[in-house]
Amino acid sequence: MTIQIERLTKIYNPDTDFPITAVGDVTVEIGQGEFVAVMGPSGSGKTTLLNMLGGIDRPTSGRVLIDGEDITALEDKELIGFRRDNIGFIFQDFSLLPVLTAKENVEFVMQLQGRSQRECEARAMELLTEVGLGDRADNVPGKLSGGQQQRVAVARALAPKPRFVLADEPTANLDAATTRGLLDIMQRLNEKEGTTFIFSTHDPRVIGRARRVIVFEDGKITEDRVQGEDRTE
Amino acid sequence: MTPLFTIKLAWRNIWRQKRRTLITASAIAAAMLLSLFIRSMQEGSYALNLDNATRFYSGYLQLQHPEFSENQSIDKLLPSTEEFVGEIRGIEGLTTAVPRIESFALGAAGEKSKGVIVMGVDPGGEDAYSGLAARVKEGRYFQRDDEESVLIGGRLATYFGLAVGDKFILYGQGYHGVTAAGLYHVAGVLNYPNQQMDSRIVYLPLKTAQNLYNTGEQVTAWVLHGENVKGIPALEEAARSRMGEGVKVRNWADISPELAQTIGLDRASGQFLVLVLYIVVGFGLFATIVMMTLERQREFGVMLATGLVRSKLQLLLVLEALFLGVTGIALGMAVTWPLLLWFYFNPIPLTGDIALMMEEMGWEPIIPFSLAPELFGAQILIVLAILALCSLYPLIRIGRLRVVTALKG
Ligand SMILES: Nc1ncnc2c1ncn2[C@@H]1O[C@H](COP(=O)(O)OP(=O)(O)O)[C@@H](O)[C@H]1O
Ligand SMILES: [Mg+2]
Repeated sequence: MTIQIERLTKIYNPDTDFPITAVGDVTVEIGQGEFVAVMGPSGSGKTTLLNMLGGIDRPTSGRVLIDGEDITALEDKELIGFRRDNIGFIFQDFSLLPVLTAKENVEFVMQLQGRSQRECEARAMELLTEVGLGDRADNVPGKLSGGQQQRVAVARALAPKPRFVLADEPTANLDAATTRGLLDIMQRLNEKEGTTFIFSTHDPRVIGRARRVIVFEDGKITEDRVQGEDRTE
Repeated sequence: MTPLFTIKLAWRNIWRQKRRTLITASAIAAAMLLSLFIRSMQEGSYALNLDNATRFYSGYLQLQHPEFSENQSIDKLLPSTEEFVGEIRGIEGLTTAVPRIESFALGAAGEKSKGVIVMGVDPGGEDAYSGLAARVKEGRYFQRDDEESVLIGGRLATYFGLAVGDKFILYGQGYHGVTAAGLYHVAGVLNYPNQQMDSRIVYLPLKTAQNLYNTGEQVTAWVLHGENVKGIPALEEAARSRMGEGVKVRNWADISPELAQTIGLDRASGQFLVLVLYIVVGFGLFATIVMMTLERQREFGVMLATGLVRSKLQLLLVLEALFLGVTGIALGMAVTWPLLLWFYFNPIPLTGDIALMMEEMGWEPIIPFSLAPELFGAQILIVLAILALCSLYPLIRIGRLRVVTALKG
């Protein structure tokens, strides 16, 4: 699996006196099994970039190729199916459906894919156990802590075995200890399932955990480095 | 999303705001209760009063000569022979058929005269049908069907200054232009329920009336009655197909348009009240559905981002609105049905002056209730129609929702 980003540009309000270039002419490639942090201050364009990668926002120009397939050329309808089958999403504020239990939340996307109930359940339980919540499967999100909810969100993103997972500031609402725990889980799943993880953050403590760091400033990549594992933060 | 999963999700979603859902459902239920109470009472009264009121004059239906209604000519008659009666008996759903001769004449006594309505009736049959004998307040009812006597309305008696035993002359035009004239004794004075009729009505035994107008074995109308008011259209249909072209079938509304109009106006006022109620409740429902949509933009964004098709999300929201409405309907039915059932078997009794007035008019002094399924059906349809309208909001809103914007919350 490779993600090729070619001259990707997003300009807000292009035809006004104050156009905002949120992402400007970005070209980068991300390969199978990578664990990538997109690092940058607030307003630097991380969310915009990830949204275009995830096919929920359209670029002003440029292309995003997933295994050679240009997703920016897909129709809205095709994109929905593409997202469902290929991309896992983790959001900053957990974003679980409040009326579903942890297990049902994890099953949600698999349900959309029309998988059998037995398959959904087995996979959900496998992942919930993996993130350390096997015993909380029947709890609704309201009964779980923020860290636990975000672990359920990680399980949900991975459940349909996506080609890659996009996480927009997944630890922004978590304390240091919980952040560490979540990163451990993400890293373990990245290794175990071989799923590519791309997450954004502006928290320098999180950066140490990434094997590759793309530094983003004013919609441009200013640095792209591969680092050894640094567990000292 | 499988249908079952969608249903599960929708059902749980409406109970996220338990209190709001309960209040909204209760509002629907309250509107149903009030509306059904009003409408059930109205239709119950119409049915009972119509049954009573039609007995004195129009009947449910009348059979007439096809041209009689044009100018009520005494020349346009139907037979009253055994053979014809046999034909009538074959009408499906018929419970009663009584013959009448209804015509005009000039009534005279002493120095005074006045145009009157002459009603020739079969003494036995008519009494069994309309309870005419019980309306005699002075004197006596007819004893034979050919006696030379009359029963007259109380107000008419006062006009002429007539008492029981006095002489009364009728003068008019009979069958095919012959002169109709007769001298009769007042056998009794009536307390007729309808005031206008009370000052104009003169009853004769049928044979006597046939002699007066020289009609032979003929009548102006056969008055028909059926099981209940609800069955009138069916009875009308049966009468038409049975009697064929040579006989005209007219229903009570055609014969007594004022009565039909009175009921129509009263019904419209009830329906208007119901409409106002539902408009109020409809706005409440709309507000709830708008809130249910607006407060969950982010959640919708997440669902769409992770791969839920837009139309499925719309379906989910419509289902939620439907469940909200159905909860209201179920609640409404659970409260209304037992209440109306109780009132159906225990009609509200009227007392005091109103009761006396109603008894005077020949009506039972009660407020009866109807359990007609159409009434309930109409309420359910109204609620569902309001729901359909309200559902347009989330449909449009989700149709236009941009995932990126929604995710920002
Ligand atoms: N819908 C929008 N309309 C106009 N400007 C926007 C919109 N979304 C984001 N921006 C601008 O684009 C820039 C990048 O935003 P964003 O991608 O959210 O950055 P980050 O996620 O790094 O904080 C910011 O200057 C922001 O104000
Ligand atoms: Mg952001």
